[in-house]
Amino acid sequence: MQVHITGTMVLQVVVSGLLVGGLYALVALGLSLVFGVMRVINVAHGTFLMLGAYVTFWLFDLYGLNPFLSILVSVPVLFAVGAVLQRLLVFRVVNAPELSSLLLTFGISIVLANMAMLAWTADYRSVEFLTGSFVIGQIAVSKPRLISFVTALVITALAFVFLHKTRTGKAIRATSQHREVAQVCGINVGRIDLVTFGLGAGLAAAGGSLVSVMFAVYPEMGQVYVFKSFLVIVLGGAGNYPGAFFGGLLLGVVEGLASLFLTAQLTEVVAYILLVLVLLLRPQGLLGGRI
Amino acid sequence: MRPAAIALPVLALVAVLPAVLSGYHVSFMIQVFMWIALAGSWNIISGFTGYVSFGHVAFFGIGTYTAALLITKAGWHWLPAGLAGCVPAMMLALVIGYPCLRLKGPYFAISMLGLNEVVRALVSYFEGFTGGGAGISLPPIEAIVPVYYAMAGVAFAVTLTTYLILNSRFGLRLLSIREDEIAAEAMGMNTARLKLYAFLLSAAFPGIVGGFYAWYASHVEPLSVFPLITTITMIIMCLFGGSGTVLGPVIGAVLLSVLQELVWARFLFVHQALFGALIVAVVLIMPRGILGILRQYYPLPRSI
Amino acid sequence: MADAAAILEVRDAVKRFGGVTAVNGCSLSLAAGRIHGLIGPNGSGKTTLFNCITGLERLDAGEIRFKGRRIDGLRPHRVARRGIGRTFQIIRVFPQLTALENLLAVTEAPIEQARARAKELLEFVKLTRLKDEYAGNLSYGQQKLLEFIRVLMTDPELILLDEPAAGVNRTLLNDLLAAMARLRDEGKTILIVEHDMKVVMGLCETIYVLDYGEKIAEGPPSAIQGNERVIEAYFGR
Repeated sequence: MQVHITGTMVLQVVVSGLLVGGLYALVALGLSLVFGVMRVINVAHGTFLMLGAYVTFWLFDLYGLNPFLSILVSVPVLFAVGAVLQRLLVFRVVNAPELSSLLLTFGISIVLANMAMLAWTADYRSVEFLTGSFVIGQIAVSKPRLISFVTALVITALAFVFLHKTRTGKAIRATSQHREVAQVCGINVGRIDLVTFGLGAGLAAAGGSLVSVMFAVYPEMGQVYVFKSFLVIVLGGAGNYPGAFFGGLLLGVVEGLASLFLTAQLTEVVAYILLVLVLLLRPQGLLGGRI
Repeated sequence: MRPAAIALPVLALVAVLPAVLSGYHVSFMIQVFMWIALAGSWNIISGFTGYVSFGHVAFFGIGTYTAALLITKAGWHWLPAGLAGCVPAMMLALVIGYPCLRLKGPYFAISMLGLNEVVRALVSYFEGFTGGGAGISLPPIEAIVPVYYAMAGVAFAVTLTTYLILNSRFGLRLLSIREDEIAAEAMGMNTARLKLYAFLLSAAFPGIVGGFYAWYASHVEPLSVFPLITTITMIIMCLFGGSGTVLGPVIGAVLLSVLQELVWARFLFVHQALFGALIVAVVLIMPRGILGILRQYYPLPRSI
Repeated sequence: MADAAAILEVRDAVKRFGGVTAVNGCSLSLAAGRIHGLIGPNGSGKTTLFNCITGLERLDAGEIRFKGRRIDGLRPHRVARRGIGRTFQIIRVFPQLTALENLLAVTEAPIEQARARAKELLEFVKLTRLKDEYAGNLSYGQQKLLEFIRVLMTDPELILLDEPAAGVNRTLLNDLLAAMARLRDEGKTILIVEHDMKVVMGLCETIYVLDYGEKIAEGPPSAIQGNERVIEAYFGR
């Protein structure tokens, strides 16, 4: 079965992919921050995203709240959840062998996902807030995607401002670059860990809220985002935050092209092969950075 | 040799059990052997080298499909078909392991997180070959006792292999990787290759377990043979018993299988959540598992 | 004695980390069969240079040659197999392996031979009675000794020691220094990074001084001791 693929179709998926890519970049930023500051790969990052999506869904379903506005709720809620988990559990493995933090966050993610399953069933939900597209020339730009992209950009920009212009933000960056030195300089790294983990969860939640507008919401939705966030970080180079942004865009585009030239079923496979190839050929990321 | 003194009576017991147990209990024992083999396999890569494999069930799943296809399309007998499950599993391990094991630990773990989904997606995609979402149905199994012995054999093979590794220099090197990979490399160990060997071994056995499982379950489909819960169970059983040891996975598999059977198999999501919580608890409270706790009170030899 | 050939040559090595140039056009030539010292204020790039030599870091520019063949760009285990061994600033024994296992793990020699050599080395540093103790349970000094003899298991020709005297008491230090002198007498080449000036001046035949990643002085202890640039580097103007 050969479908004639036109330039317009390619352009269409590229645009679409770029829009989704902004979201990926936002979600990846949260994971990257946590890893940079605490050397913890938070496998539960995806479950934070999922919980954020559910917050948005229920606020929309029960109260009709605009999902983009509900970000103002989902972020603080998940910030709190993240902070509590960090304070109770994660802090114990911050300087432990990575195996411990991986397994711990993996365990947490399973508990959270299954609690969601018990609470809300495995049914697929969606937030039917925006539908339809803007038509620009020959391209149909999906409305939810465009608004999500813009929102993701805004949130990412805010995060950058926070990291570069506020004291806490600078402390976070200092800790992620050199933890011992930061401590010696009087930074309370325990508090920074707490804030960073909460921030990571909050960013994931924002991502989740945006995802809920475009894709299905269900308890296991988060898992794939951990993997995608990781892929974004690898593409852009670990520790390279602007690089991660482009990594997100690139992933979105690659997925779009894969679904066009191959089939939607195989986009994950393509993403995986992309990961393996980058790791093999250019482990420092397409834009550099340390591993 | 002391280990033989313990192993032989156990083997003898295992050999005669089917004569005295009911069909239900034989089934239960088959499950236990399966988990011993799976947890033990995970142990070989993750317990020894510290490289967490989150996608290990992919090897199991590939094994099931291999055997299912060989039995239904090529008319193979179930025993060699099951054993053949290790071949594609090892090939997959080679293809994935070669690039991914070069990464440092956490990066490897995440790359393995995606593996399972990818393999499942691929299997579903090649519908013509694999029956897609509906899966493959095999002839119904008549006698389960042969499967009992086959699974017991794999469980024993995994345990024996672990024992041999732990008492060899290959094992010492794997442990060195876990202890301090940078130092190990600086001392001349080709850690990438060592990890790869361990990974291949750790993938072969789940392939065989899967191969036998296909015959036992008489049906394979993507959803049933690539479930995350299998990976979770493998991991928690190994951790709970004591990873990096010979008997740890055995203890963990036996204890948790019994607990699972008696208490919570009925409630799937509670089951998963409980296992997740158990992982958290083990990591925080008893990182060396039961064997680790015992070691604090009794001087146990390293070789177990 | 005629001028010994250079066993290790570093030419214009450069290593950057983001905005920081840790090694900045450094060149050294180590004569074989001698004990050399590498000193410099904190942050002068000594450990980074070690890491570049042993393959833990890749050079951004320049070359490193061992016995005439290039080794920059090789992975650490290959560098080790060419005959270069090293210890670390922060002790890196394998804590959950016993002392004996630490030694056995690093060699590929047949097990009987390896055991014999391990026993020999353990006796050399008087650790025999602790051979079955987990390395993590040993005292700091004992771990230091273990790391030292572990390097010797593979019989390297060039031994890089990163701060061998750090945290070590006088008696142990004297044993270590005597051991190093013996190794040199057997034909090995040793390069040590050290902050303890007494050790450096007393033991090393040639000293290289780094500051901000560049070599600012080189020569026997007598030439370094009064060297103004060296004093400036350590104490400022």
